[in-house]
Amino acid sequence: MRNPWTRTGNYKTSYAQDTTIFATYSEQASLVVFLIGMLVLPRFLSRGDMQILDLILIYALAVLGLNIITGYAGLINIGHAAFLGVGAYTAALVAPYLPFWAVLPVAGLVAAVAGAVVGIPALRIKHLYLAIATLAFQLIFEWAVGHSPALEQGGAMAMPRVVFLGYKVGFKNHHYFWYYVTFVVLVIMAFGFRNLLRTRFGRSLVAVRDNDRAADAMGMDPGRTKVFAFALGAFYAGVAGALYAYWSRAVVIEDYSLMISIKFLAMAIVGGLGTLVGSFFGPAFLELLDINMETFSYWIKTIYNPPGVDVGSAIRPLAFGLAIVLFLIFEPRGLANWWRLLRSYFRNWPFKY
Amino acid sequence: MKNKWTLWALAAVLAMGFAAAEKVHIMWSGAITGPTSDAGKYYAQGIEDYCSWANDTGYVAGVEFVCETRDDQYNNANTLRNFEEAVDRGDPVFLGYSTGGTLQLKPLVQEVGVPFIPASYHIGNIDPPDNDYIFLPIASYSEQVIAVLEYIAKVSPGAKVAMAIHPSPFGRAPVEDAKKAAKDLGIEIVEVQEMAKGLDYTATLKRFENKGVEYIVYQNVAGPVANMIKDAKRLGLKIKHAGAHYAGGPDLLRLAGDAAEGFLWVTAYYMPHEDNAAAKFVKELGAKYGRPADTIESVHYPSGMLAAGIAIEAIKEAKDAGKKISAESVYQALLQMNWPNKLAVGPVTYSKDDHVGVDQLRVLEAKNGTFVPVTEPFSSALFRKVHYGK
Repeated sequence: MRNPWTRTGNYKTSYAQDTTIFATYSEQASLVVFLIGMLVLPRFLSRGDMQILDLILIYALAVLGLNIITGYAGLINIGHAAFLGVGAYTAALVAPYLPFWAVLPVAGLVAAVAGAVVGIPALRIKHLYLAIATLAFQLIFEWAVGHSPALEQGGAMAMPRVVFLGYKVGFKNHHYFWYYVTFVVLVIMAFGFRNLLRTRFGRSLVAVRDNDRAADAMGMDPGRTKVFAFALGAFYAGVAGALYAYWSRAVVIEDYSLMISIKFLAMAIVGGLGTLVGSFFGPAFLELLDINMETFSYWIKTIYNPPGVDVGSAIRPLAFGLAIVLFLIFEPRGLANWWRLLRSYFRNWPFKY
Repeated sequence: MKNKWTLWALAAVLAMGFAAAEKVHIMWSGAITGPTSDAGKYYAQGIEDYCSWANDTGYVAGVEFVCETRDDQYNNANTLRNFEEAVDRGDPVFLGYSTGGTLQLKPLVQEVGVPFIPASYHIGNIDPPDNDYIFLPIASYSEQVIAVLEYIAKVSPGAKVAMAIHPSPFGRAPVEDAKKAAKDLGIEIVEVQEMAKGLDYTATLKRFENKGVEYIVYQNVAGPVANMIKDAKRLGLKIKHAGAHYAGGPDLLRLAGDAAEGFLWVTAYYMPHEDNAAAKFVKELGAKYGRPADTIESVHYPSGMLAAGIAIEAIKEAKDAGKKISAESVYQALLQMNWPNKLAVGPVTYSKDDHVGVDQLRVLEAKNGTFVPVTEPFSSALFRKVHYGK
């Protein structure tokens, strides 16, 4: 007999049931509890903690976009930070004239246009060659910004202070305000991400990733699908870029460099490519790893600091590289797979299959 | 028995003294690992050692400095996190590092009103807007480049000059001012080349040669400069090389070897091999705190000391004036600072309209593996005219 609160078997009898997001009421309830928990979380965190949390959420939004391009559509993208940068610079240019809630979609749309343009080479090339094309976009972006006086040649473009419904955002409430804004945007866009695979376009992405010629034979348009993937992924990145610009209070080219693109790829891999929860786990894991390794490296320095070798400082970047390598070797499906295993263990707990 | 009571009394006095010592936190956020860490690690050590020296000598009575050097890995998000942590803790002053990080923090620094002393000498740091609380330790890159152009114009009137710069705001900062100054000086800047991260600059150098370039002026860090001057030597070019603070120094000599011979370098810091109080002080501190020779030789070591020294001196002046140590009192002390320091070629002076500490510079030339001064300390005659129009 079917229990609506837990899975006791496979009772799906239609395609609509097969594509449902929530299989049980308990899944719906747990999401509601989680969202409420996230809404009240700032009451228990310091301003410094909120700063880190904001950064994780903004990066999660960017990694969602990367997961559409690389995870769903299988198109390697080494220029994702440049899409973020397009969004950020768009935000810096339009923010003096528009309210912040209008700036975010505008930044996303401009980045989507850039994404569609970058996606055009995907019509002809793929795999490593496409990766190099995205790398070229990253370099062209950095060069173009560096030579544009209107963009301060990569120097800082200050973002205006935000006033929302009479609420003025300043130093004390900055991270709390942007937490709620980012959280709302992230929930909406994560919902879109989750639903993407339930649409024709979303399924085309996966089909083209798995075999573009077979997808073509089945009536899909691989070229258009790839361009669509780039545009949509870049839209997510553009919105994230605008949020990052507001969060960091100024736009500086160094925040959108090749190193940041590589960091996004690492986050997507560690989290689990092509997964929704992985887009949250990856940024959270790597950012918290970095902060904890920072503390650990200072502790190492206090107990072991031989002259000539800065062991403490070396540990921090080493941990970043080591985490990626270990995940690639031992858990290529990322933290999302651990989450899947954990959920399946507790699904019928304390009973077993 | 009497001795025992005396000892107890002494211990009690000492304990009260320690208990009364006010702990003042000074944080630096910069690159100990990652890009530019070749400079950042020595800079951090300079800050640590100067703070230790100030504590060991009781330089500011009743104050114990707790200096933290944070590795932000040249990542602006980390710099922002560190700065906000310092502000939340109530630090009276903050020591910064990179150009990008400082430019990004400008609006926030202005909002919170905490004095900020960066290692970046980018003129944009102290240009409006949001420039009230940022103080450069020495003259800006723009002033440094113009100073070396003035020297070139003096020794080679009408010279043809190329600029080789870092592809970033750090590198581009002095270009416009340098072009204006060159016109006034009667020399010609024939090309401004952004130096890609290449290991072979043959094509660039041959082009410079074809254009009749006599001097290349670098605004970059020592690594790429070393590669280019080694290529110039390999090609047998007669072009002379010159550069601003981060382009030269003992690090360049170590990287480029004899190819650096004749390199003209402009900086405000004394060299450790000189026979003066500054060199003695730097070597003493390096030895006292167990620093290796490459740290003591690096110009970034005294640079870090000067930044820490400015912060500590401002705190001392605030304390001596009977004020509570806070961002505001340190800011007011900085605005009136006239500190005849041991580390640079001139005093550190600030005012409301002047946020450059050491106004004087020297041109040094690499001779037999060391940089020796070829000028007395001087201030650029043209910088204020070309940059501020006065």
